[in-house]
Amino acid sequence: MPEILALLIAPDWVRSLTGERRPNDFWAEYIVWPLIQIVIVLFIVLTVVAYLVYLERKVSAFIQARLGPMRVGPWGLLQPAADGLKLLLKEDIIPIKADRLVFSIAPIISVVATLVVLAVIPWGAAWATIANVNIGLLFVLAVSSVSVLGLVLAGWSSNSKYSLLGALRSSAQMVSYEVGMGLSIIGALIFARTLSLSGIVEAQRADGLPYFLFQPLGFLIYLISALGETNRAPFDLPEAESELVAGYHTEYSGFRWALFFMAEYTAMLVTSAVAVTLFLGGWYFPGLDWIRSNWGQTVYVLLSVAAFAAKIGALIYAYMWFRWTWPRYRYDQLMELGWKWLIPAGLVNVVLTAIWYVLALPEAQGGVFGFVKQTAGRYVPTGAGKIYFILTGFIITIPLSWALLATINRRSRDFNLHDQRQLQIKLRSERIKRNEPVAE
Amino acid sequence: MAAVTTTKQKRSIGQIIKRLLLLDLIEGLFLTFKYNVRALYEPREGGNPNQAIYTEQYPLERPRVSERFRGAPRLNLDPENGSTLCIACDLCALACPVDCIEVGSIRREVRDGEKVNKKKVLTTFIFDTSRCMFCNLCSEACPTDCLELTQSFELAVYHRSGFRWDREMLEKGINYVRYTK
Repeated sequence: MPEILALLIAPDWVRSLTGERRPNDFWAEYIVWPLIQIVIVLFIVLTVVAYLVYLERKVSAFIQARLGPMRVGPWGLLQPAADGLKLLLKEDIIPIKADRLVFSIAPIISVVATLVVLAVIPWGAAWATIANVNIGLLFVLAVSSVSVLGLVLAGWSSNSKYSLLGALRSSAQMVSYEVGMGLSIIGALIFARTLSLSGIVEAQRADGLPYFLFQPLGFLIYLISALGETNRAPFDLPEAESELVAGYHTEYSGFRWALFFMAEYTAMLVTSAVAVTLFLGGWYFPGLDWIRSNWGQTVYVLLSVAAFAAKIGALIYAYMWFRWTWPRYRYDQLMELGWKWLIPAGLVNVVLTAIWYVLALPEAQGGVFGFVKQTAGRYVPTGAGKIYFILTGFIITIPLSWALLATINRRSRDFNLHDQRQLQIKLRSERIKRNEPVAE
Repeated sequence: MAAVTTTKQKRSIGQIIKRLLLLDLIEGLFLTFKYNVRALYEPREGGNPNQAIYTEQYPLERPRVSERFRGAPRLNLDPENGSTLCIACDLCALACPVDCIEVGSIRREVRDGEKVNKKKVLTTFIFDTSRCMFCNLCSEACPTDCLELTQSFELAVYHRSGFRWDREMLEKGINYVRYTK
């Protein structure tokens, strides 16, 4: 696809910087321009991450009828800078009985695993994409799951009960929700027919609709799994302040702690970015093509970046909103939701979506309805096809999968601790009524 | 296994639909969102519970205390000639349940026209705010409305000796550090 290949070409001013001609522009194309992109993205993302902390504090304050940070700068806007300075200057404490090497490596693993993912995310159209990897989505899932290792190592090397328990909880939770997350995106991939993140955005542009309309169940599962994956409330068991002191980073202080914090908020950004790319149309919004032809390439790219940022912002606000509204899940409830609801629902969604898609193919391809037409090398749903996919997604897939799972999970309720306890109480009371001996 | 009736099986259809659509969760979300939006546009008035933001930024904004609030003590002066209203009757010291008031006085001859009266005159007045419990009994006992508990509440000092307010402090008030933006 020529459109996607054009994303990687360095602009002319970079080429003039290195003094190279277009066919032989190795330095401009592979060294200088990627480095510029990396520096810009890292700078912007880390600043944004710092301000996410500020935003979180403000949102929580407003929800709780407070003001939040107000003293550093106007409306507390310089608070992230003050926080960063404080964390840099704090004493770096390593517990005597900790494993020093692993203790210092763990936060680095955690933060690097989340930062590497930023490379493949399509921040915007044309030159705003850094790397268009053809297995981008696979790369995101693979690399971001490495950050669990950082948490486990941190918990183990701290030589503290709280840290170890927090790490165990977080690893179990993240591994469980990773499966649901992986299953939820497959439905969108059936429509996009590519793993490249830029390709998925292009596919949604060609189809004319963002995929959350075709994949409501997939989007829902992804959002919930992303909350669990990033250890956010209502799934913030690894850092449950009221139960474990601070979770896996109990023994961490100063800049190492800041790295964990950064990893958490960057993971939030990354999962939101993937959700936006997969389900909300990425950087594309209707009317962007008109802007490109009338206002020029630069405005087009900048507006695409702005659209991407706005969509991510909306999702992140929703995360914060959830955190300050809902109470925390109990651990068995968390696991039940992950294994008994999200993962089977993901599987059902994959199967049903595949059935709907095959049925919509033209008869020559083995389908029935012919709602999907092959145009310009890829399958694009027609107008009737769009309505068909939206209706099947909302009206059939969600109720059907819910009914199926409710039926299956109803049987497993017999193993519910509450019911067992109720049964014991009842049997005991019957025995007492019959004046039989009761075991104390 | 015996059939057990638990609360789970007694749900009505309405409750099932409510659970299915997560209506309780959504209701909570609407509530917090309402607070968040109100916090953005409503003019802020610290300490007003009906406002979206309750916070008062204390050193910058003075909290409003009620008229009946009993705070720092004050010895009122006669507004006409500026002399003290205190007649050194010692009633406040007698009324005080924690004995935090010490009234010092001397008997002095005061010439009033041709008559010479012997009169009790106030010399010192010590009010120990560290022991005071702000019960207002002294103020009620005062026959001349001289001793009064005002609405000023910033009584913190850096040293214990600062709690002993002398007559000058009681008449003029203490100098507070005023924080501004």
